Amino acid sequence: MSLFDPQIAAYIPWVSGLSAVVCGLLCLYPQFAKLAAGVCASAVGVGFVIALGIWGNVTHAGAAVNPEPLMRWIEVAGLEANYGVYLDGLTMIMLSVVTGIGMLVVIYAAGYMRGDPGYARFFAAVSIFIFAMTTVVMADNLVLLFLGWEGVGLASYLLIGHEYHRPAAVNAAKKAFIVNRIGDFGVLLGMFCIFDVFGTVRFEGFLPAASALLTGDVSGLVGEGLAAYEQATAVLAGGGEWLLLAAPFGLMVGAFGKSAQLPLFVWLPDAMEGPTPVSALIHAATMVTSGVYVIARTMPLFELSPYALPTVAVIAGATAILGASIALAQYDLKRVFAYSTVSQLGYMFMGVAALSSTAGVFHLVSHAFFKALLFLTAGSVMHALAGQLDIRKISGLRHKMPVTFVLMGIGCAALAGLPVLTAGFWSKDLVLATTFDRAIATEGGTAFIYLMVGIVGVVTAFVTGYYCFRVWFRVFFGEERYAMGDHPTHHDGHEGDHGHDDEHGHHANEPHEMDWGMNGPLVVLAIGSVFAGLLLGPTHAVEHLIDGTSAEANALRVGDDATKYEKWVHNLMYGVSAVVAFASLALAFVLHGPWRKVEGDDPVRLRAPKVFGALNSKLWIDEVYGAVVVYPVRVMGSVFYVVDAVIVDTVVRGLGVVPRLLGEGARPAQSGRLHGYGLGMALGVAAVVAATFYAMNRG
Amino acid sequence: MDPQLVLYLASVCGAIALWLLMPRGRALPWWRGGLAAMIGVGALGAGWLSAGVRWWGEVDLAGGLAGGGGDAGLSVLAVAYYYVFSGVAILSAVRVITHTKPVYSALWFVMVVVATSGLLVSLAAEFMAFAMLIIYGGAILVTYMFVIMLASQSSPEDVIEEQPEYDRASTEPVWAVVAGFVLLAALLSVGFDAPTGNPDAVGMSDAEIIETRLAERLVVTEEDEARQALSSTPAVDATALSNSERLGLDLFEGHPLAIELAGVILLVALIGAVVIAKTKVPEEIARNAAATPGAGGATVRPTGEAGPDSPEVLGSTRS
Amino acid sequence: MDQMISSLTFSHYFLTGAVLFVLGMIGFITRRNMIVMFLCTEMMFQGVVVTLAAAAAMHGNVTGQTFIIFVLTIAAAEAALALGLVILLFRRRQTLDAGAWSELRG
Repeated sequence: MSLFDPQIAAYIPWVSGLSAVVCGLLCLYPQFAKLAAGVCASAVGVGFVIALGIWGNVTHAGAAVNPEPLMRWIEVAGLEANYGVYLDGLTMIMLSVVTGIGMLVVIYAAGYMRGDPGYARFFAAVSIFIFAMTTVVMADNLVLLFLGWEGVGLASYLLIGHEYHRPAAVNAAKKAFIVNRIGDFGVLLGMFCIFDVFGTVRFEGFLPAASALLTGDVSGLVGEGLAAYEQATAVLAGGGEWLLLAAPFGLMVGAFGKSAQLPLFVWLPDAMEGPTPVSALIHAATMVTSGVYVIARTMPLFELSPYALPTVAVIAGATAILGASIALAQYDLKRVFAYSTVSQLGYMFMGVAALSSTAGVFHLVSHAFFKALLFLTAGSVMHALAGQLDIRKISGLRHKMPVTFVLMGIGCAALAGLPVLTAGFWSKDLVLATTFDRAIATEGGTAFIYLMVGIVGVVTAFVTGYYCFRVWFRVFFGEERYAMGDHPTHHDGHEGDHGHDDEHGHHANEPHEMDWGMNGPLVVLAIGSVFAGLLLGPTHAVEHLIDGTSAEANALRVGDDATKYEKWVHNLMYGVSAVVAFASLALAFVLHGPWRKVEGDDPVRLRAPKVFGALNSKLWIDEVYGAVVVYPVRVMGSVFYVVDAVIVDTVVRGLGVVPRLLGEGARPAQSGRLHGYGLGMALGVAAVVAATFYAMNRG
Repeated sequence: MDPQLVLYLASVCGAIALWLLMPRGRALPWWRGGLAAMIGVGALGAGWLSAGVRWWGEVDLAGGLAGGGGDAGLSVLAVAYYYVFSGVAILSAVRVITHTKPVYSALWFVMVVVATSGLLVSLAAEFMAFAMLIIYGGAILVTYMFVIMLASQSSPEDVIEEQPEYDRASTEPVWAVVAGFVLLAALLSVGFDAPTGNPDAVGMSDAEIIETRLAERLVVTEEDEARQALSSTPAVDATALSNSERLGLDLFEGHPLAIELAGVILLVALIGAVVIAKTKVPEEIARNAAATPGAGGATVRPTGEAGPDSPEVLGSTRS
Repeated sequence: MDQMISSLTFSHYFLTGAVLFVLGMIGFITRRNMIVMFLCTEMMFQGVVVTLAAAAAMHGNVTGQTFIIFVLTIAAAEAALALGLVILLFRRRQTLDAGAWSELRG
């Protein structure tokens, strides 16, 4: 059934690690830099092949596969965190998405980044990212997961700031890094709580123990799980419940930071300063979904805390509608998709918040396909128009770029969730339906929360459909009209770039279709965007993979498939979703379609300038953060600077003056005359001898 | 009077005397040398006396300085040796540092070496006394004389103003004398009141050494006896060691590593001397130096800057 | 003879050694002729030699005299190197004045 022993999975990150080293070395030899893309793509491809190869072994094993660790890392004072892998259905889905989408994006980037002075550096950073991301999804303990978690943060920082000579890119990189630190701090706190309660950070240990605490069923517990359970009961009996309540909130903060949820989402739109393939791979398809993965992975913990999942639901709903509504008033192509990502991540969290890891992960997979597709087609447009991203200045490109036109259309359809054929339709429905399921299954305030979140989700779906088709109609339909950009990503005067100027000299004149080296991966992504839904949706494939693993919520394990869900809710959702999707398409067609009345501007802005302006200014959230967080910190910094400059510096400089004065005083002694030195020596000896004998005679 | 105080006063007087004798760049007035000699001799005598008072206790001047000695005849002779050689050494040393002609300084230094050797003889260090005479008075001093003749400008006249300025004027005479005599006074403050020697430091007796290390010396062959019978000289005492024997034993048995190191140092010095001697002085510098003999560093042109008569300039004017 | 010396005093010899040493030192400082300066260092050695011999007699063994051999070794090495250097310097400046070499001024 399967080709490889699961043990070999532990080598997946290291293949990419090796690629990172090789690409790093290639940075030193510019004549060989072109090889970097091939090295990186091969490494990621090897990872993908291994993942597919061990797929059968893992999914047929039923329980998680946790082979002997590849190497020992930390074993101290009861803390055991080795370099081991934890393989189950959830891991395999994530692994396949990361390596598969990663490989497609790397192939695309091989063409997209051509001529970039930091070509090899780019692929070295991408290799670091794949290394860290596969570590995150395969780690068998929280400490190793955290290592990968920091690693993806680093790779994200490096790639956002790839064009480090542009202040905007550098600022965006710093912003992403700093905002993520808040989340990382949360993960650390959560990890401490878990270790305090269960005495272990290994998934093999604390996940079964948490499930047992939840259900009271200890019959299936063996080994590590049993030990963790016993320690946990002892800690809980000793008044440690608050640790168990706090742990999921810590992890939640980390997930919100990494996955750009309220209130920590501000870094993601700015992260679009990075090259477009980076936006597609890291800031749409993979890294930002690691928060969803962490919550799904530690689902039993979140179930243990009665407040954790409703909190996630509220945040997720708010983020979804906020991101979608900001997206509908943006003019920048990439920013629209960035806010769309924020909004879609909200959907994923909605899914896990509704106890259904299946829904969250399913949407993660389909989103990875269509959002990567959308970003890469946006990148193609940007590439063709020399960096132009303003949709007010682009129009009617469908004749110039027919393939891109079709591919982005498919991506938009998937994002909007046009019924039956698209992946987005099936996954979004599952998310919304399970949310309403929870509303029915629970009572009181919790039920109200899930109901409201579900309704917000439906509204968001409408807004989503509208904003994505708005972009598509604006860019590809109507009168053919475009203004070239200043090509900030490529022609920036770096040395070694001159050959590229000649080769792509026609950029300055006309947009053109991408070659098939770049369009090929897009076609694969487009096929995935369409058929992933049909393959995984009606067949319940994702559900079968998740069920039986620790990521499946205990509350949903009772009963069989027939009684688990309220069937009518799902059937109703199909209908509602279809109506909403077509309605949004219709609205977009009327306002922005081929026969639109307003060119170069948004009709909504003309009708409701204040609302549109607010959304266009991203609801001034960055400004609020500036006033509430950044400004006080700056004031504090100024105060400290004054203290440093006035007090500390004065003291230090004062201390520095003393040796100089001493030196100035002693300088004449260095007359250069031999006799001076001899006399000094003689006087010194005489003084020392006289002092010694004086002291001796006195004593 | 407190002998310690006398010692200090003698140091001060010696310092004044030495200062009076320091070369001033011109001929000394006659009274100055005489005054200095008087003060200096007086200081020396006072120092000797006070040293005796300090370490002998009461001195009976009328009964001679050797009052503490055991064997009267021998001790008077030894004391005389000491005073004669010590006086010669110190006065010669003064002339070494005050004479304005290097050749004479070197010759006076030979006198110092000779007197020092005499002192060593009176200390029963005969081997080293003769080694000093041969190595210092012979080898090293001859080397110095060679160098002096190689490097000095010839100034046959006895007129002091004709000599190079660096020979006839001394630098920092006051401070040097003060520093020197403060050091001397401090050194002389120390009392060595252990005339019986340090029992820990006393080595094995002659008899012990001969029994343990030089046993073959006691074996008397028939041949020896026959030779002894023919000879008129008294037999050598087989149980006593000469100074050079003791020295050889101590040197080669007690300090084998040190003697190896000394050999290495001599070898390094030899190589270093060869390297230094073979170092080439750039022609320009030598030429510039020859153009301004005896000049200080200020007038010497930096290396690499062509002088008016350097080959480059000459070549350019010719072409 | 050993007996006589020890009953006389070793301090006289120490005094002579100290005087020779100090005179050598003073000469080293005051004289400007480099050859004479090195001659003065040799005179300091003489003072040390007298002191060592006196100490050897005082302690009743010959180690002090052995040390004189090493002093002689160093003196010979110093004389060889120093005189070589003096010649080298003289060839550069045609002067024996130690004051002519003051490039190390601070």
